[in-house]
Amino acid sequence: MISEIIKQQLSAIVGPDNLLDSEIDRFGYSYDSSFVPFSEQNKPDLIVRPADTAQVSAVMKLACEHGIPVTARGTASGRTGGSIPICGGIALSLVRMDKIIEFDERNMMVTVGPGIRTMDLYNYCAEKGLFYPPDPASWKYSTIGGNIAENAGGMRAVKYGVTSNYVMGLEVVLADGSVIRTGGKAIKNVTGYNLTQLFVGSEGTLGIVTEILLKLIPMPKARNTMQLMFPDMEKACSTVHAMLQAGIVPAAAEIMDQTSFQAVARHRKLDIDPAIEACIILEIDGDSEGELQSQSARITETAQRFNALEVRTAASQAESEDIWAIRRGLSSAVGGMAPNRFGEDISVPRDAFPEMVRRIRTISEKYGFTIAVYGHAGDGNLHPSLLCDMANPEHAAKVHHAIEEIFDAALAVGGTLSGEHGIGITKRPYTEKALGIAGINTHKAIKQALDPKGILNPGKIWEQDVKGGC
Amino acid sequence: MTEKPDLLKQAVKIASECDRCGNCTTVCPLFAEKDIESSSARGKNNLALGLAAGVVKPTQQLLNAANFCLLCRTCVENCPTKVETDEAMIALRQHLTDQLGGVTLKYKGLGLLMKSSALVKLSSIAMAVMRGTGINRLVPRGLVPDEYTRRRFLASFAGPAALGAPASPSPASIAADSRIAYFNGCGMQMMFPDAAASSRKLIEKTAPGKLQRISNKCCGLVHLAHGMRSDFIELTKDNMRLYENTDIIVTDCASCSSMLKHTARYFADDPQWKDKAIAFSSKIMDITEYLVKAGYKSERKSDVRLTFHEPCHLGRGQGLRKEPRELLKTAGEYVEMKGADACCGGSGSFHLDYPEISDRLLDKKRDNIEKSGAAIVVTECPACLAQMQKAASESKGRFVAMHISQVL
Repeated sequence: MISEIIKQQLSAIVGPDNLLDSEIDRFGYSYDSSFVPFSEQNKPDLIVRPADTAQVSAVMKLACEHGIPVTARGTASGRTGGSIPICGGIALSLVRMDKIIEFDERNMMVTVGPGIRTMDLYNYCAEKGLFYPPDPASWKYSTIGGNIAENAGGMRAVKYGVTSNYVMGLEVVLADGSVIRTGGKAIKNVTGYNLTQLFVGSEGTLGIVTEILLKLIPMPKARNTMQLMFPDMEKACSTVHAMLQAGIVPAAAEIMDQTSFQAVARHRKLDIDPAIEACIILEIDGDSEGELQSQSARITETAQRFNALEVRTAASQAESEDIWAIRRGLSSAVGGMAPNRFGEDISVPRDAFPEMVRRIRTISEKYGFTIAVYGHAGDGNLHPSLLCDMANPEHAAKVHHAIEEIFDAALAVGGTLSGEHGIGITKRPYTEKALGIAGINTHKAIKQALDPKGILNPGKIWEQDVKGGC
Repeated sequence: MTEKPDLLKQAVKIASECDRCGNCTTVCPLFAEKDIESSSARGKNNLALGLAAGVVKPTQQLLNAANFCLLCRTCVENCPTKVETDEAMIALRQHLTDQLGGVTLKYKGLGLLMKSSALVKLSSIAMAVMRGTGINRLVPRGLVPDEYTRRRFLASFAGPAALGAPASPSPASIAADSRIAYFNGCGMQMMFPDAAASSRKLIEKTAPGKLQRISNKCCGLVHLAHGMRSDFIELTKDNMRLYENTDIIVTDCASCSSMLKHTARYFADDPQWKDKAIAFSSKIMDITEYLVKAGYKSERKSDVRLTFHEPCHLGRGQGLRKEPRELLKTAGEYVEMKGADACCGGSGSFHLDYPEISDRLLDKKRDNIEKSGAAIVVTECPACLAQMQKAASESKGRFVAMHISQVL
């Protein structure tokens, strides 16, 4: 519980309109886009909406002094419970800090607040001819702050990398309210530890990111979309591998199994040939239309070598958008197929993709759950979505065993638990398997150094022995 | 009387399709004005789920949150899984109203008024008298329109712009021997009798001497949306009886046509009324779709610039987007304004409950109308029309607002 006096002090910092504590609001900030069940315990005591770094710093000072947990959040579109305030305290909503602070065209860099939505940033830069490539599927509504916290990937990772590849520097408010700046505009910079990359992907457990310096690249002049349909997953994956080996690097190579694209087809009233078991959507880009045509011809030739049933190159912008809408609507459409969905985010070496899909199939049959599989064929990051009904005790009893087997399989083929969603709370039980005890201890040591009171997003990433069990 | 359905269960069934992704937060007009979770469709759906899970309590505060919704369906249209948040909120409102011990006085008064045809008629006269005497200034804001047609006035009686899965365009077709009748919505009758008369004339023109005269009851939308479901059921049964011998029912209120087209959904579990409700719903035509089907074109095309404010219940509610624009192109120089389908903030009584937010939505609309350069903004729903007239008065004569029947 937070005392009235502290509430008044917080109110003086952010203004009364930006302090919410009604029951309705506390509930509204107790969940994210994962399917962690609602609970009384997950409700924050207060929602605080600061407008700038000074306010964040003042809030942290107060929280540190009184040992109040602080869980930062953007739009709560995370899939692993990372922004759920499981120890109560303050839910620190950073959505008001959504400004573009500086656009540095000559250095091709942009400085933004954490609350800006990813797509808004992309559009702003695109208008000026520059390109911010990371595009997590949630980019319409996710914020850059959240992307940093989870080191979000996206579809373009195969060619352009993930969020961390674009972060040049950060302003971070530490647990005690002090403010540090890491990195900077210099391309080469080895002064001190690489703290910038330490904070990227730290899920709000080490500090509150209040300003972000991102590098941009020139916008590709031409872009197009292709859709390839295959009789099975194996041939679809082989096509992508053959392309990459031949030096045809698509900007995105998304793959989905039959269960997945049929889920979208249901919502979009599309008819898809039942013989098709795998679908790949490619984005290709380059300097000219001519270059695209030659890429598309080589891709078509490769796909046909692997028995593609259909090869379609978008003839217009509208057709491109139509094809991409299938992929972007996937996660939610699959989620809507059953009362509960456990959407995982394992990442494996690229060539292990078909083997991983085979292992998931076996697990699906063993436990009798439908598992829709889709993901980023180009980079080995896949999203198996296990569909079930947790109100059914039979399902509830075995679902976690099935998920554990998926994680075991991922580790067995040389992969890892999470490619881009982070660990949050949903994958905590498995981190030790992935990192080892010494690995976890290293994490704990870093956490202890930066947040000795354990107030920043407590209870996340690894299983812990925090007071109160949270 | 149909067995009372479990409305919380209904709300939960809809809301559990929500993937909590947050797409709706980028399009919800209310979230744009007040960006806290409970404003968004995601927030509202999860309140219903939280209530069912026992993590949220059934309080007046919760009902207020459910009422803080325009029922404009912008979220539904942009939702990857098309979660019908508007339907979920209507069910949740009814559930909470029952739980909390009845409808509040304001909605009860509104519901009672609209339930009685005689009162609706009387109030249209009373409103005219009050306007004439200036007594309306003593009545609380928004309860009596200032003026009849041209200037600022608010309409509280139009029924919430609400409702349902997008109804498809009417399956009915017009034959030489079709029996046609007009459905006079309460809002049109009370606030815009001139426009209603124009509509009637238009229909008569396309079917000379064939228009049946039927004195209908309220469509029941306001009752359904504000926790008076049994009144809605009763009114709808009356209307089904009244129009038993009609083939095509034309209405010039987008909210009514959308509501009436959805009738079947609310009688699906009632063996006695189910088939009648399906038949009734399939007879309904919005006036824009009727006129297009009847091949109507405006008799003279002027060079006045027209733009269209698309009522939520017409575009998202019934998929009627082409029809009104096609008709307007025959009447003047049509220009499409930016955000033509954005909710104007009228939404039945929403503008009374949340005047500030409603005003902010209307300001955006006014700005878009002014930028379009149109001299007349046309719409087809009395709640919207009242808002448009308010915007027109605030724009100080830069444009006027009219019902589509008045320009055709």
